[in-house]
Amino acid sequence: MSVRVDLELAGLGLPPRLQAVSARWRGGQVIGVVGPNGAGKSTLLRLIAGVLPAATGTVSLSGRPLRGLASRERARWLAYLPQQLPEDCPFTVREFVEMGRYAHRSPWGGVGGHGWQVIHDSIARMGLGSYEDVPLSQLSGGERQRAGVARCLAQESPVLLLDEPISNLDVHYQLDMLQRLRELADAGRLVVVAIHHLEFAARYCSQLLLLDKGRVYACGRPQEVLTAAALRDVFGVEAEVFTDAHAHLRFTYLYPREGDAQRPSTAVQAGEEANR
Amino acid sequence: MTRVSALLVLCSLAVALAVAAALEVSIGPMMIPAGRLIPDTWAYLHGARSGDAVVMGAIRWPRALAAVLVGAGLAATGAVLQAVFRNSMADPAVIGVSSGASLGAVLTIQTGLAQLNAWSTPVGAFVTGLLVVYVIYRLATLQGKTAIHALLLAGVAVGSFSSAMVTLLLSLAPLETMQQMLFWLMGGLDGTTWMNVWMILVFVAGGFVVYLWHAHALDILSLGEEQAEGLGVPLQRTKQVLFATSALVVGACVSVSGVIAFVGLIVPHLVRMWVGPRHRLLLPASAMGGGILLALADVLARMVLQPVELNVGVVTSCLGAPFFLYLLRRHYQAFERGAKG
Repeated sequence: MSVRVDLELAGLGLPPRLQAVSARWRGGQVIGVVGPNGAGKSTLLRLIAGVLPAATGTVSLSGRPLRGLASRERARWLAYLPQQLPEDCPFTVREFVEMGRYAHRSPWGGVGGHGWQVIHDSIARMGLGSYEDVPLSQLSGGERQRAGVARCLAQESPVLLLDEPISNLDVHYQLDMLQRLRELADAGRLVVVAIHHLEFAARYCSQLLLLDKGRVYACGRPQEVLTAAALRDVFGVEAEVFTDAHAHLRFTYLYPREGDAQRPSTAVQAGEEANR
Repeated sequence: MTRVSALLVLCSLAVALAVAAALEVSIGPMMIPAGRLIPDTWAYLHGARSGDAVVMGAIRWPRALAAVLVGAGLAATGAVLQAVFRNSMADPAVIGVSSGASLGAVLTIQTGLAQLNAWSTPVGAFVTGLLVVYVIYRLATLQGKTAIHALLLAGVAVGSFSSAMVTLLLSLAPLETMQQMLFWLMGGLDGTTWMNVWMILVFVAGGFVVYLWHAHALDILSLGEEQAEGLGVPLQRTKQVLFATSALVVGACVSVSGVIAFVGLIVPHLVRMWVGPRHRLLLPASAMGGGILLALADVLARMVLQPVELNVGVVTSCLGAPFFLYLLRRHYQAFERGAKG
């Protein structure tokens, strides 16, 4: 990844699902797109990827607008991993990751020596080296997610767009995946992830984009975005926000905001009820 | 599957295909011993016009080659449609394309266009076949997702409508016989000429090259359209090219053989179990498997009720319908399991 890419969104939107989003991100960052269900996280990623045509605004990569690009060329710049991978996928991990080379190969030719190198590296990087010949349908949910990321890596694109890559994983693999994404960014890629887990988002992302009902609520460094006020307004949760001994941003969720649900009279009671 | 085992698969299929074609040529009301096959064919090619040589050269060989080509075209098209629709129950006949194509073919014959130009029948079949693909695809697709049940139901409805129109058209024509109606509805390979063979060869071979060109895209498409776009497959254009090509191939097959159902369904399924899901290998293996199946089915069609000759579509449907029901049941079970998590 010799050239640092620069992704710019200018008023990107698809009303009513998503109103104009503007942002500018660089290679080397992990960008977390956060927000409640239905806030427009997936829509944003799909608009950036060009899978869904935008009604307004543009996406440019290092100054070049993406709109005019052919599908194959776009896939060499942006790798997009949808939320759902088919569970019954009959392809082996190697065959699946090889599909990432589609944008680089000719219809008749093979993937070439360099292509195979990239495929094996991508698989190894996601810790699936011993599963190369195993069909995806026999992998666990977490392994399947990692195979999906490996396929994106095989695209050799400077930008990765991942829609909830840790949603089906247990805590070990969540941390493991985020660590790997962090390393990819450190190596120069721009990684944009839609993510539900706020504490992990705060810990691993360089910047967060907080969406609320299709609008940008806040954008910036995690501790600036995930404030008590934001959690109240966007997620409808009263919470204490603090930094723990490891300098990680932490939240103690107290109770749902008034009016959203039955609220216990005090926070202490809420804790007691949770313990019961 | 490794390169070597893939090559072995293709070689063994090629041998089986040669055997099936040889059976188709030598078995019939007049049996031709295996030892006479090559010398008699050779003699026919060099102008001999006596007894066996004529039966083989002018009747049996065109019929055998047409069976192989039609089977190959239908099976390869079945594999393509199954990937594009992301639906392992797609088949040119099941989704109504074959009946649509037969309607176009009958139309050209009834309006006299076929007498003016020999290519008008395949072209008519192509046009109506394409129309059917378009209609059922639009009917079954909502927000970019093609629903399996909507597709099958739309295919059944459009298919029966086309068959009804074929029957109606043929009933209105005073001189048509029952045999001809049977031919268009149930398929048949009797009376195939060398001209027919060359015509299907052009379409099937050309279509196959187009299919193979898209082999990688088909692998990806079989995972779903969203995945395909993210990986750089130009979705709309790829689908349009593949639909148009499949309508061409099916149109050409139907204009020579009538509607032959289930070949495009059974063969890719069986072949996929053997060679795996990659279209680079699945397509040629399916094509050869389709050729084998149809040649053998035609041998059965001619021999089972001798001297009465069955329409080959009767044989493929007798084999295919139970297989289709088995698949439906298996999918239903998989769906139920999925729903329960």
